[in-house]
Amino acid sequence: MDEHRLKESFARVATYGDEVPLFFYSHLFLNHPETRDLFPVSMAGQRDKLVNALGRIVSDVSNHDTLLPFLRGLGRDHRKFAAVAGHYPAVGASLIATLKHFSGQSWTDDLAQDWTEAYGVIAQVMTDAAAEDETRNPAWWDATVVGHERRTIEVAVLRVAPDVPLHYLPGQSVAVECEARPRLWRFYSMANAPRHDGTIDFHVRVIDGGAVSPALALRVSVGSRLRLGAPVGTLRLNTEQLNTGSPRNLLLAAGSTGLAPLKAIVEQVAGLPEPPQVHLVFGARTAAGLYDLADLEKMAAQWPWLTVTPAVSGEPGYRGETGTVADVVGRRVRLADHDAYLCGSAAMTTATMHRMQSLGLPRNQIYVEDYGWSAS
Amino acid sequence: MIHANSEVLTPDRVRSAVFSPTRLGRRGVDEGEVRAFCDRVSDGLGRLLNDNAGLQEEVMRLRNRLIAGRENSGPQPEDAQVQAVYVLSRAQQTADRYVADAQEYSKELAQDAQLRRDEVLREAKMRASMILEEAHTAASQAAASVVPGPREPLPACERQELLAEITYLRTFSDVCRTHLRAYLESLSRSIEQWEQVERKGAATAARESALRSPERV
Repeated sequence: MDEHRLKESFARVATYGDEVPLFFYSHLFLNHPETRDLFPVSMAGQRDKLVNALGRIVSDVSNHDTLLPFLRGLGRDHRKFAAVAGHYPAVGASLIATLKHFSGQSWTDDLAQDWTEAYGVIAQVMTDAAAEDETRNPAWWDATVVGHERRTIEVAVLRVAPDVPLHYLPGQSVAVECEARPRLWRFYSMANAPRHDGTIDFHVRVIDGGAVSPALALRVSVGSRLRLGAPVGTLRLNTEQLNTGSPRNLLLAAGSTGLAPLKAIVEQVAGLPEPPQVHLVFGARTAAGLYDLADLEKMAAQWPWLTVTPAVSGEPGYRGETGTVADVVGRRVRLADHDAYLCGSAAMTTATMHRMQSLGLPRNQIYVEDYGWSAS
Repeated sequence: MIHANSEVLTPDRVRSAVFSPTRLGRRGVDEGEVRAFCDRVSDGLGRLLNDNAGLQEEVMRLRNRLIAGRENSGPQPEDAQVQAVYVLSRAQQTADRYVADAQEYSKELAQDAQLRRDEVLREAKMRASMILEEAHTAASQAAASVVPGPREPLPACERQELLAEITYLRTFSDVCRTHLRAYLESLSRSIEQWEQVERKGAATAARESALRSPERV
């Protein structure tokens, strides 16, 4: 397998842009109509994902240390899309046909050989990882909605009960699919530490024009069925640090529904033998947007180590801390002796992280929500 | 004419054509005129031949380009399979566009509703604080008119008047409260209606998109 030739060939084909994945999927669906049902009605987002994944694989083709974990993750991840080993040859055939079609005259037997070999390796790594995962986890977790509360016009809090226990760490998230929007998966963080009854809370904020969030907030009700993927995510409480001789206090900064994973971490702290001081800053645009404040204040009343500061950025006359989460953090907290955990919109986390660093908090004491590779 | 018919007629040959003399007793044509005519024919023929060669070249060039294009460029509809793939691709793109349009539409609706909601809430807050202020002013005026009462007992008629005033102010404050409550209730009702409309709008948009986008193409 000539890796250089492979890269060159991919670069040439990639110049045709969206036409390439369009051709690939149409070819796949024509030759294997049963695979159409594995995908959403609108394929626009799907095509980008395919090209991005292929691009990443090809550019990392000689860098096995990063390529292999990526492929294994992809293989495990595809289990929830109901992809099985039997689908891989069909995908391979359509991939080769697509590459051949767009290569035109430059397609050679050697190139065909290269691509066939490369795809064989990819498929092998992915199916192996999927098979290995199958011995431990279901392909997805079926769950029933047991609670559905619309807290504000744009935020709903869902409580779901998985049919079989879903084990996760506070701070992690899962991909969620609902019956109203089949084959569309969106990541949501668990908003509670694992409970004895196995129920999980999700905080859903309606994204205007979004495909899934309005369905979860408006269409889903008690009794609805959901599918949950395997837990992922890197935002976790650094318990090793807390177990050292000089444990640091925690600063949790949440923007809107970014509260979910941080609330789970607060509950986790409550289970520790010696909880550190925890300061939770919960920000929203308006006072009404502080959708979970009542519950947080109850927690603060119950646990003396917990301080909750609500922050409102877009409502003049609000009687409390006004400004963004970054503003309030800068004003209220002496940062250097803290470990900080951030979750919210990209704008909120970026601004808050910069503020914290400029106030002297080292980068390695800041933990930010990062989904890593997402569903493809 | 002393040329074989099969020979190709070139401008030179026209120009240098030699005509046999006429037989005796018959008058021939004017040689000068024949020459001049042949010159004109020669020029015209020359132009035509040049044009023709240019056109031939152009045809060759285009033909070569066509062949080269067919051989080198990437996608060429080769067979029925490829045609089918293209047909399915166009159908998929149409479905994608319908879904994107529906989402865009619902986004606009929601954003518009949010703006109007904010506006109504702002206005309501303003009016509520105005009503409260009025009530406060009325109350402090009432207090002012009661407090400066001197030590000596008020005459009965004045006392009666003040009591009537107090009763009036109490009623006024009750009315204010009732108004405020009714206003806030109607406000919350209209927000509920809004939510319903929004929900209905979202549902309709989704239904339309579901109707228009084929599940399988």
